[in-house]
Formats: sequence, structure tokens, C-alpha cells
Amino acid sequence: MKIQTREERGCRVVVLVGSADVNASRMLREALLGAIEAGATRIVCDLASTDFICSDALGVLITAYLKARGRGGFLRLADPQNHLREVLETTRLDHLFEVFPDVQGALVRT
Amino acid sequence: MPANAPESDNGMAWIEKQLPTRLETIREAEMEVVNRLESLGYNEDICFAVRLAFEEAIVNAMKHGNRMDPDRHVLLAYRASPERVEIRVRDEGDGFDPCGIPDPTADENLRKPCGRGIMLMRSYMDEVSYSSSGTEVLMVKYRHP
Repeated sequence: MKIQTREERGCRVVVLVGSADVNASRMLREALLGAIEAGATRIVCDLASTDFICSDALGVLITAYLKARGRGGFLRLADPQNHLREVLETTRLDHLFEVFPDVQGALVRT
Repeated sequence: MPANAPESDNGMAWIEKQLPTRLETIREAEMEVVNRLESLGYNEDICFAVRLAFEEAIVNAMKHGNRMDPDRHVLLAYRASPERVEIRVRDEGDGFDPCGIPDPTADENLRKPCGRGIMLMRSYMDEVSYSSSGTEVLMVKYRHP
């Protein structure tokens, strides 16, 4: 998996490209928790190009979500494709995360 | 050969592998299974489902079964036909009671970062069963359930 980040409208947009599998989880953890530790607590994860996600990576997203919220920020998910959307629904994590159809929508609601 | 597994069934021979307890070894084995399914014409949804369940089973075996002990191994066996794929994963740990896992979809557990692997395996495969020792899981996915 590759992780690309950018700043947009006061948010850190984290783009996950490829498979968020167990071996990518460490990289994801460093990217998200590192950003929060550095003060970037408004995070949008762009999942448009994420073709796979495992429970380990979901756990990283949950940990980052809780840390961001604990610091007054947020972690939102944007544009999950069919398989990822189904995983979010199956785990009922769509009830925990705010899930937006696209990044712009996630950025607008700030 | 997995415990109690017939040598073959309708010409489906078991392909066996022994993985060291290192997470880095998972991807290659995972893609071997997925490539096999793709070559048999399975669609994307089934390939995704099997890949997810496979990864969860192997990670559970390494982390919770073998406790990431590099001297222990995970025994993997799979066989695939145009109709179904079967996967067996066995660890060298002490076993566990799969009924004792809290429901990760319950409201009170949604914020917990762990505990979703078995639920995902059960959701994405058609059959999931454990040996009485709790050290081996058998998962089956049918092309047309």
C-alpha cells in the first residue's frame, strides 16, 4: 500500500492506495497517529483507491478516530468502494465512522 | 496433510504450505490462493471474500495461536475446484474457544480496535468450523452457495 497525504481546507487528507492488509497496518498507524501527535486532528481518509482492508487496519482507523476525537478533531472516511463499504457495513463500523461519498463532501462538513 | 483430511476429493488435491510465524509471509501465500481462484474463473467478490477470510485466519494463527513465536509455524492447506475452495489453517498454540469471543458488532464493542477477525471469516465464508482443540480452522466458500 502507498499512503499519500496533503493539506486541504484545514484538514489532513490521507489517501490509501492499494491493500490495507496486516503488513500495511504499521505504515497506516504511523501516518495517522503520527499526524495526530503532530497536531493534525482533522483527518479525512480517502479510500477511493483502497482495494482491500483487514481487521488490523480497521483497528488502526478506530484507534486514530478515537485519538482525533479526544483532541477535538475527527477522522472521516471518504469514497469507500463496494468491497470496503461492505466490510464497514458487515462490521457495523459505518455506525461509528462518518462515511462520505467523496473527499469534498467530507471536507465541506467541517 | 491436515488432521482428518482426505487425501483428495473429486480430484481436488490439497496444496500444503508451512509458513514461519512472520506476518511478511502472508501476502505471497494469500495471492497464490487468489490467483488460483482467478484462474478457475471465480469473480471479484468471491476472491475478495476468500482473501479477507484467509488473511484473518492466518493472522489469528500467528498472533493469537503462535503468539508471534518465530520458532512456531502455521500449517496451511487449501484446495480449489470450479465449485468450491476449502482452506485449513492450523497453528501450534494452545487453542481457544471460538464461542468465547465477544460480538464485535455490539454497540458496546464498536470502539474496540480488535476482535473482528473471526466475525469477518464467518461473514465472508460459507462454512467456518474449528477443531475441538481450537488450533485448526476449516473454511469453505462455494461458487454458488
